[in-house]
Amino acid sequence: MYLLEHDAKRLLATHGIPLPAGILVEDAAKMPALPPGPWMVKAQLAAGGRGKAGGIRKTTTETETLAAAAEILRKRIRGLPVRGCRIEQQVSGAVETYLSLMIDAAQAGVRVMLAPRGGVDIETLSAQPGLIRGALCDPEPSAVSACVRNLGNDLAEPLRSALAAAGSALAVPFFAHECALLEINPLFVKPDGTWFAGDAKMITDDNALGRQPALRELLQARAGSYPEDALKLRHGCDYVVVDPDGEIGLLTTGAGLSMMLIDELRAAGLKPYNFLDVRTGGLRGDPTRLVHVLNWIAQGPRIKVILVNVFAGITDLGEFARLLLAALAQAPQLKVPVVARLIGTNLDAAREFLARHNVPVVAELSAAFDHVRRELAS
Amino acid sequence: MSYPRIDRATRVIVQGITGRAGRMHTRMMRDYGTRIVAGVSPKAGGADVDGVPVFASCREAITQTRATASVLLVGAAQLLVAIEDAVQAGIKLIVTPTEGMPAHDALRARRLTLEAGVMWIGASTPGVAVAGQAKLGFVPEASLKPGPLGLMAKSGTLSYECGYRLAQRGIGTTVWIGVGGDLVKGTRFAELVPFYAADTQTEALLVIGEIGGNEEQEFATALAESRFHKPVFALIAGRSSPEGVTMGHAGALVHGSHGGYAAKKAALEKAGATVFASLDEMTTAITAWHGSRQRQERLTK
Repeated sequence: MYLLEHDAKRLLATHGIPLPAGILVEDAAKMPALPPGPWMVKAQLAAGGRGKAGGIRKTTTETETLAAAAEILRKRIRGLPVRGCRIEQQVSGAVETYLSLMIDAAQAGVRVMLAPRGGVDIETLSAQPGLIRGALCDPEPSAVSACVRNLGNDLAEPLRSALAAAGSALAVPFFAHECALLEINPLFVKPDGTWFAGDAKMITDDNALGRQPALRELLQARAGSYPEDALKLRHGCDYVVVDPDGEIGLLTTGAGLSMMLIDELRAAGLKPYNFLDVRTGGLRGDPTRLVHVLNWIAQGPRIKVILVNVFAGITDLGEFARLLLAALAQAPQLKVPVVARLIGTNLDAAREFLARHNVPVVAELSAAFDHVRRELAS
Repeated sequence: MSYPRIDRATRVIVQGITGRAGRMHTRMMRDYGTRIVAGVSPKAGGADVDGVPVFASCREAITQTRATASVLLVGAAQLLVAIEDAVQAGIKLIVTPTEGMPAHDALRARRLTLEAGVMWIGASTPGVAVAGQAKLGFVPEASLKPGPLGLMAKSGTLSYECGYRLAQRGIGTTVWIGVGGDLVKGTRFAELVPFYAADTQTEALLVIGEIGGNEEQEFATALAESRFHKPVFALIAGRSSPEGVTMGHAGALVHGSHGGYAAKKAALEKAGATVFASLDEMTTAITAWHGSRQRQERLTK
């Protein structure tokens, strides 16, 4: 899960990480009391590079701050909806540095990156030889601390001590919340050696949610900002709206095949609405999850057809067809035709069931696309 | 890493054999021809499942049966402990189909298996299959046919689709390895290059990747460095996926310049692989390759 900066910072604060004072604004009409100014007004979204895309403003008056927040809240940045605005006290008279901890999947360790300069130009700075230092260490907090200290050993004070302290402090939440990535850029260091996390990019492991109560609580409390993750936690399947104007609702299983299906539909000039890995193995004879999926798809204003694609290694397709029909009966507001592409055991039973309800069943994807095209044209 | 041999003689145990999934998949693997010699369940030692003896630990199971491979059908939270048990007992090949293994557990398991020289496939995978011989996991039979193509994939379902299309056209596979869709996994594409290079049955390789991480780039580097002389075909799912959202697989997340489609495609092409834009393109090209290979075979006879 890619945490929004504000949520990542709130989590970091519980571990004593020093931060500039800040608040979250989700509605320009409901502005809470501001921290002391001057301010940074920062769009909250799950992507980097928002500064260069106009998602960050520096402001000096309250009026200017409120106007900037209202404007940013209306934006879409890099194709993503802005999920709120963090208004934060500016940090002045500090040096901008960079520190990140990341899982190195190939080396089975933690990759530490450190630089005495940071900020929005980190990508350009990274071209300077020797500026960004990196090393691999064991996946243990003490090893991360030691690694950060070693990497910054040749820096002048106060950077050397401040970065070493930041390394030790940040290693704790990195392991406690089972992060894949924790990046602080900029990491502000003041002349007196104090430091602040200016930004926070935190990616946690979805597979660890079951044993991460703080992250589960965050998801439940802020479900609106993490619709996909909240939905997975609640319903056990992956669902992502990929195009709000999409015309084809997908009822599919398997992440890789579902992603590929979206690629293929788009390449064919068609407009898929959603990604779905419904996990047929998890249905266990109950149509509830399918009913939810159909209701979500029904929210698409331009949906014209549902394409079912199940390549079943294990799932009994006769059983799946029965569940699908039960679910369609329980989602009567979805009044669009359904086309099914099914492969696997007990296909004949599935075909017979579905044919009785005017759902054509085909074995090849190309045939399914032809059906979809006909439905879109009619 | 050493590459354990997998065929119908390979002795396989199932950890977690008494669970719902354990029983079902043990039956299906045996039906395919896999030689399942024992099961392991800490609480059910001494019992049997459809005639397969169950032991309380891997060590006991191996002492009694000389098994070299294990399929782990236990819950995600129990995987790390079960892998440790298998490694300590001397198992050489570990296959973990279970979805949802925490990445920090997988980091520990990967360090352990790398140090011990044990091949670990998974997690979140349909497993390993040698068509017509044995399967450790649940690659569906509609997709399995013996033939000259090595196949490795991050995604189960997309690999089923590819295997099925090719099988329909008479093209089969040698060793099918699902590396899985997790962020941290036991065996990565790059680590299988020497295996497919050395495998005399494999005449070409199909790699089925997806967005997220840098495994495809790593594989491309390994290809270039190894002077792999067999044709390499590749398909990468997710080129139209949005940024910042996990697409079903824990590893399928694009953020900033990390994990995007274009970089993967470029790296693979630079290493000499053919990257297909669609499933149809893949089927057509591999069918053409297979046809020319058969013509050459006839000429040399």
